[in-house]
Amino acid sequence: MTRPEDAPARAREDAERKRAGGAYADGLAGDPALERSIAPERPTLELLEQWSVIEVDAAVLYSTRRGGGPITALKRVLIRLMRQYFYELETRQTRFNVALMARFRELEQRVERVERAVAVGEAGAPAAGDAGAPDSPAAPGE
Amino acid sequence: MTAVHQALSGAGPVDAVTGQALMVQRLLREWGHEGGVFADAIDPRIADRVKPLVDFQPGPDDVLLVRYSAYAPKLRPLVEWPQRKLLVYHNVTPAKYLWNHHPGVAVACSLGRDQLPVWARAASVATADSEFNAAELRAAGAAEVRSVPILFDPAPLAERGTSPSSGDGPLVLAVGRLTPNKRHDLVLAAFALYQRECAPDARLLCVGPGLSPQYERLVTAEVERSGARNVVLAGSVPQADLNAAYAEADVLLSMSEHEGFCVPLLEAFHFALPVVARPAGAMPEVGGDAVVWDHDDDLAVTAELIDLAVRDDELRATASERGRAQLERFSLDRSEAALREAVEATLASRRS
Repeated sequence: MTRPEDAPARAREDAERKRAGGAYADGLAGDPALERSIAPERPTLELLEQWSVIEVDAAVLYSTRRGGGPITALKRVLIRLMRQYFYELETRQTRFNVALMARFRELEQRVERVERAVAVGEAGAPAAGDAGAPDSPAAPGE
Repeated sequence: MTAVHQALSGAGPVDAVTGQALMVQRLLREWGHEGGVFADAIDPRIADRVKPLVDFQPGPDDVLLVRYSAYAPKLRPLVEWPQRKLLVYHNVTPAKYLWNHHPGVAVACSLGRDQLPVWARAASVATADSEFNAAELRAAGAAEVRSVPILFDPAPLAERGTSPSSGDGPLVLAVGRLTPNKRHDLVLAAFALYQRECAPDARLLCVGPGLSPQYERLVTAEVERSGARNVVLAGSVPQADLNAAYAEADVLLSMSEHEGFCVPLLEAFHFALPVVARPAGAMPEVGGDAVVWDHDDDLAVTAELIDLAVRDDELRATASERGRAQLERFSLDRSEAALREAVEATLASRRS
């Protein structure tokens, strides 16, 4: 009797047997593009930089209403009429985003430099209680 | 009697959270608690049954039943209100699935997860519809989390419409919104292999609305890429038509990577339909030992599992029998009793 918990082992055997006979040769898998489109939980800096440039295609417009085709068309016309304004809006937001990302990068690099310096200092400093450590950084309040 | 109002981030006609809210509203009325259903974003198709959150003005002794599934700007202030709060956590889809496909929803999900601790601490009583969701709520700081499963009412499953499928071969059914976390690309690839190696006349029916027209186009392109034939992407269909599809189908397939509950499992059990699924999120709790769990990354194995679930009568009979036991576990009576206890516990709590 095949129970649900027995099925995977049987399926693996069947797949291996068929593979030996030449089946499943091309190893069809999921869509790598879709796989890549699943971003990390906390987006990377590179991804944030891509996102900082705001450019919205009017093709993303749609209507959830029944028979919403004409509404979508109307929305596209309105966007077209307002294109100059939206372009200005996008570029101003992009200007801010790009400048912010540049500052953020600088800050990251500074933090990295400070962390490296601290790590080098800690590696070179004698253990607490060692005599003769004139170069070790003084603790606050000393 | 004390009014119990429900507040949601968004409401739509085929949205599971909205469906639960409307069902609970009927129950609360039966129990003597009047109260409205309010949401921040409301789909025009359901505007007659759900009121805008901006119009929400509860009395000081009323209870707020907050259904939490995403961040919503107008929902956020409620956390500071003095009324007693019953939090129902439905889970929030991880934003990583949505950043590249629907930035607006991704932001709501990201902020939703970030702000969960605030809600977890503010709730007089916290509930989750699965242990998977309860664990997230505890991690967010909720002191005590009650389990109140989804109210699964089999009555609407009796109505029979017309299945969107056509043809005669084995029918593989996939039910759920077309969203990246549901991994329809894997469903299509596994089905294409099954069709090629096991059942050339097999058919695939995917039921569920798309995240956006763009994402629908992406999945449609995926049908072509996979080489699968006899595929129908039916979109959103009336419950009666979905029932007909369940009744006609030979197996339910899910390759989803994230599920806070997964109602289609219970629907499949109702129709004695075998299920092949990846054990994602809360699915192992809901499916138990009735589901053929696919732990393998090899889609050839998935294809063979589909074949077994379609052809092996003993497997189908065992899965069906176990499915009935799972349905009993999630029976409407049990879930209603758990909800009523949570409502009474909230009523017995003190105002903040």
